[in-house]
Amino acid sequence: MSEHGHDHDHSRTVKPMVDEITDFEVLEIALRELCIEKGLFTAEDHRLFTEYAEHIGPTPGARLVAKAWLDPDFKELAISDAVAAAKEVGIDWLEPTGFGTPSDFVAFKILADTPTVHNVIVCALCSCYPRPILGNSPEWYRTPNYRRRIVRWPRQVLSEFGLQLPDDVEVRVEDSNQKHRFMVMPMRPEGTDGWTEDQLTEIITRDCLIGVALPRPGITTNVTPLVRAAIRPIEA
Amino acid sequence: MTDAAERAQQLALVSRLKTIFPEVPEWPTPDMITHDHYLAYMKTSHDVGGELDYPHPYENKEEEQWELMTYVLCEVLGMRGIWVSEERRRLANVDVGRAIYLGLPYYSRWLWSVGRLLMEKKHISWGELTDRLAEVQARYAGGLNGQRPKAEPKFEGDGSGVSRNKHHLEAAGVGDPQCFAGQAGVAKFNVGDKVKVRDLPAMFYTRTPEYCRGAEGTIAEVTYESPAPEDEAWDREDAESEWFYIVRFNQAELWDNYTGPKNDTLQTEIPERWLEAVG
Repeated sequence: MSEHGHDHDHSRTVKPMVDEITDFEVLEIALRELCIEKGLFTAEDHRLFTEYAEHIGPTPGARLVAKAWLDPDFKELAISDAVAAAKEVGIDWLEPTGFGTPSDFVAFKILADTPTVHNVIVCALCSCYPRPILGNSPEWYRTPNYRRRIVRWPRQVLSEFGLQLPDDVEVRVEDSNQKHRFMVMPMRPEGTDGWTEDQLTEIITRDCLIGVALPRPGITTNVTPLVRAAIRPIEA
Repeated sequence: MTDAAERAQQLALVSRLKTIFPEVPEWPTPDMITHDHYLAYMKTSHDVGGELDYPHPYENKEEEQWELMTYVLCEVLGMRGIWVSEERRRLANVDVGRAIYLGLPYYSRWLWSVGRLLMEKKHISWGELTDRLAEVQARYAGGLNGQRPKAEPKFEGDGSGVSRNKHHLEAAGVGDPQCFAGQAGVAKFNVGDKVKVRDLPAMFYTRTPEYCRGAEGTIAEVTYESPAPEDEAWDREDAESEWFYIVRFNQAELWDNYTGPKNDTLQTEIPERWLEAVG
């Protein structure tokens, strides 16, 4: 059969694929329309928050840590007043509502690793995460699996991320289950002498800021791959 | 569903969705329920820390547009004083029950909670929701044909008569929990104090994990004043603030047969009502 003939045959026998709206999309649209019609919020409120949500991500968190590695005074500020330190990398914790994002609160703490303490964060109850400075959490962080296991078998879970820690390093799990949000400040790795803030920022991945990885020269990507594509992903 | 065969097929599917202990029959009589089974059913479904599970690959996913829109929807409702985020957490993570909690995607529960909130606070009626769902479904009955689904409100409502919380005004310019500072009096505990987490018969909602109830720890930090989530989850603006503490637990004491070194620790934040002095 010729190419042309095959195409012709195909088009007659195969039902065209219908890209149907999903149940979740129907519900989201219905609820949003009703909220706006009832005056609970305006379309402009929604647009402004969307703009905010589209622009959050882990880069400011990485930059904050890089700055702290280079400047001991800034490191002290980061540990004693993380909200003030965040402002120095462009994150105003009161944005975008004037009282912060309703789900994150204005209570942010940076957990500095030391030669004898390694911190790792979780929210065993939901997915509390420092969104303003790290963006939305990765899917695995939200799963019951991570939340069930990291609090009880932290070393086993960390080893599944490829992170083995010696016994003389205390593993400290921070279960952020109330209003505080946490971010880990790992130690500056060897082999980075003379590096600029930009260079350092690149190796401080999101996974390092959660505490499931340590920064290493040459590693600029997360341990966890992106494996599942969305049906209709976030519009660029 | 259009005919008897389709209805039967859906009933057969639902019959396979199980959420009970396999050793006890469905619809048990009172004498069949032991105290530990009762506690398991009453446990708030979001509290999973320490439950048994096996290693599973940790992977990330791309977010759907509706997932981002759901996050924004929930936050804008908070921004305009329709709820505080603790109400969302109760509705989306606990009130859904175990089947939906474990069976549906993360943000679909956020979405579910918005529908539930709007109904319970009488912002919309069942009829309004149902009609709108049918209408949106019908709008896209022929498929999306490569288009993105779009919200098309018929008009912008006048929100001046809408009932809103005081919180979104009181927190403006200072933040939450800053807006509650100075309300709880003197903190009962100080850094270094030994405390025990009370084993309270908590029903319906709490954020004090079951895994630390009855356990002893040390106050690592006195953090802030705020109403407890057990009150905020129910929109109790009359609730009094209390002190919160970060409590440090030794892992080897917290867990039976902890396999790591003796100096590993876990910290979690707990409101004062859940703590009692030790010694």
